[in-house]
Amino acid sequence: MESEVVRTEMVLAPTLPFKKMQTADKYPKGQSRGRQWKHLRHLLQSADASSMPPDRPNYMNIQSPPSIYPPKRYCDLTGFEAPYVDPRTKLRYADPEVFKQIRMLPDEYVQRYLALRNAAVILR
Amino acid sequence: MSSVTRPRREADFARFPSSTPIVIDNGASTFRIGWAGEAEPRLSFRNVVQRPRHRSTGETVSIVGDTDPSLMKFFDCTRSAVRSPFDDDVVYQFEYMEYILDYGFDRLGANSEVGHPILMTECECNPSFSRARMSELLFETYGVPSIAFGIDNAFSYKYNQKLGNCNEDGLAISCEHGTCHVVPFLKGQPVLGACCRTNVGGFHITDFLRQLLSLKYPYHMASITWEKAEELKKEHCYIALDYMAELQIFKNNKEEADEKMRYWQLPWVPPPKEEPPSEEELARKAALKEKASQRLRDMAAQKRSQKIAELEKQLSYLEEVMEQLDEAEEQEATVILGRSGYLSQQEIKSAILKATQSLRKAKGESNGNDEKTDASAADKYPLVSVPDETLTPEQLKEKKKQILLKTTTEGKLRAKQKRAEEEALREKQEEKRRAENPELYLEELRARYSELSEKFEQRKRQKVNGGQTNGNHSSSGGVGRGERLNAAQKERMRLLASAAFDRGKGEDTFGMRDEDWLVYNKMSKDNDDDSNDDDESELVRITSKLQEIDPTFVSKSEAVQLTPEPPKVRPLTAEDYRIAIGIERFRCPEVLFQPGMIGIDQAGIDEMVSISLRRLMEDESVKERLCQSILVTGGSSLFPGMIPRLESGIRQYRPYLAPLKLVRAADPILDAWRGAAAFAASSKFGKQTFSLADYREHGENLFHRHNIVYSL
Repeated sequence: MESEVVRTEMVLAPTLPFKKMQTADKYPKGQSRGRQWKHLRHLLQSADASSMPPDRPNYMNIQSPPSIYPPKRYCDLTGFEAPYVDPRTKLRYADPEVFKQIRMLPDEYVQRYLALRNAAVILR
Repeated sequence: MSSVTRPRREADFARFPSSTPIVIDNGASTFRIGWAGEAEPRLSFRNVVQRPRHRSTGETVSIVGDTDPSLMKFFDCTRSAVRSPFDDDVVYQFEYMEYILDYGFDRLGANSEVGHPILMTECECNPSFSRARMSELLFETYGVPSIAFGIDNAFSYKYNQKLGNCNEDGLAISCEHGTCHVVPFLKGQPVLGACCRTNVGGFHITDFLRQLLSLKYPYHMASITWEKAEELKKEHCYIALDYMAELQIFKNNKEEADEKMRYWQLPWVPPPKEEPPSEEELARKAALKEKASQRLRDMAAQKRSQKIAELEKQLSYLEEVMEQLDEAEEQEATVILGRSGYLSQQEIKSAILKATQSLRKAKGESNGNDEKTDASAADKYPLVSVPDETLTPEQLKEKKKQILLKTTTEGKLRAKQKRAEEEALREKQEEKRRAENPELYLEELRARYSELSEKFEQRKRQKVNGGQTNGNHSSSGGVGRGERLNAAQKERMRLLASAAFDRGKGEDTFGMRDEDWLVYNKMSKDNDDDSNDDDESELVRITSKLQEIDPTFVSKSEAVQLTPEPPKVRPLTAEDYRIAIGIERFRCPEVLFQPGMIGIDQAGIDEMVSISLRRLMEDESVKERLCQSILVTGGSSLFPGMIPRLESGIRQYRPYLAPLKLVRAADPILDAWRGAAAFAASSKFGKQTFSLADYREHGENLFHRHNIVYSL
């Protein structure tokens, strides 16, 4: 290994004396490491019901509800208040100038703009 | 970011007795570890792991925290991203958590064993599976004797309460990395049943900023990294007191908006400029050129003199021969002729004539050709004026032809003259009309122009596009996959196809009529019908006229051509490598108040306070008391303008004139660790922990019940 890398102690040592069980023993090479970590949402769903009694505060029920006010609509490109929606791309826009820009956008960018507010079309 | 200092290994691990707890603030953005009772954590680093492959040895290594980018060249990071063990604010990837803890304990100086009680922070209502896995990891892998889990915001609140920033009863508003929390406190104890969480935090702000900038500047996408966006966010973002008003400023008030713009100049090296050649260089070049041309001239002169000499020699020889021939007898003459190589005296004469002519030419004398052309022009039609009686039948035929030719050319000339006269007349009339009423005239001209150009454009469009203008088609000429053919191309394809499949359909009569062959004309690629020539010339005329008299006039075709042209040829300047951050400065942090902007359908932090108060089943008097001690903490609360905005936001949800007091935590980032360190240093801390034996006895149930008492 290069001397700079060693000097800065960048890399974590494979065995550490204070550990009771080394990483290498825990996750032997070649074996599946169980990399398929489930996302939090799935973990919460699969957690058994008794661990989250509804009458007690738990991770799920302390979430905030949606706002009582209707969400304001903003232009996807400029961020200004957007009174219009382009029926084809579904992008919101503030004025005709932006509309022209929207129509010039490649589809990939349209989807990325939509993804910013979780409105992209996801094909499965 | 550029100067990343990797933490040194602490040397005094052995100095601490085994009863001193190690305090870990396991935040979603930063991991902080240190000793109970100390004022500062020993080390803090970004809570991330990457596992790249070392380039030369090929082994996969683990790197925790931020790294010096210049050293990353030794590693192949193509298959490893920077990973966090967190999803929102819950630890869920314990393999990564293990690397991080390894690094933390290693840097803290642990040698043979960890052997100290651990106080670790977690989020509000951490799911028990996360707690269980974390305890499992700490007990089994590190042999930790006992553990306690506590909420980071509660520690921060307690610490600030000790400093006198807030009361025993109050609220904590915390804007963290992945989430925001509002937690009410009663008698110094968090009321978890009334707390509330929105899944928006600093991470989302940075990500939003990065995405917006990389969409705005697609060419610089590679430069807009996560780390850079984080840096920009910390440096330039602020929270608008009134978001709508701030938007209006950017929309309408140019000067004020310009003041608020920030620019980030990307590294850019101007292309080497071509310097104009110096005087000396020019002179040198001219001299060289002159020299070369002089040489050429010399060569030409030499060649010419050579030729002249040769010709003269030939001429004198020929003349000599002629003289000899004149003097000689018949017999001798044939001998002389045979010697000279010519067949007859006539031939020699013509040779002499030729030689003299070419000699004259070589010497640069003119040979009176000009008159000849004039003469030929005069008698182009020599037979026209000759009476018929004197001519032979052939000449008569010729005469007829000549008469025809003459009349047609004259007719053409006359027509031309007439056209010119008409043109002049029209010009005059137009001038007159213009003089009478210039406005009207201009108006008419414009109308005519627009009509014509419209017609022209339409025809062009039809030709190119087949009359289907379907929004954003690319204007490039090539017909790629999926692109439509234009009308002309379609017609051509149809003809080709029908020609190809015409075989065998009855008798083949192709070529019987001359018109059949026209089909090839149509099939050929460049069949431009020029039926609209008249319109075109008229359009050109009007355009030139308008350009002459109307200063504001811009030809449509010019306008169309001008706009897309410049970017192609314009050299890139530093401006193209400049990233402007204007509206994004307050648009991105606004997601804390309006999570709907990034598609999260939850209440913003100001509204969360009212939700939390509603969930708290207490009297209005209690709520009023809580609202007089609101602590704002967490890394994302550091934006300028946060406190005033929160205050005005919360006021909307409170009764009229209800008292409200907001305080920012003394240090929104480190207070949680400090509070935890102070808590762990207390003598009663031992009662709050649980050991491996407790875990074995109670199992997972232990984690449902584990709630520490913060006021010791």
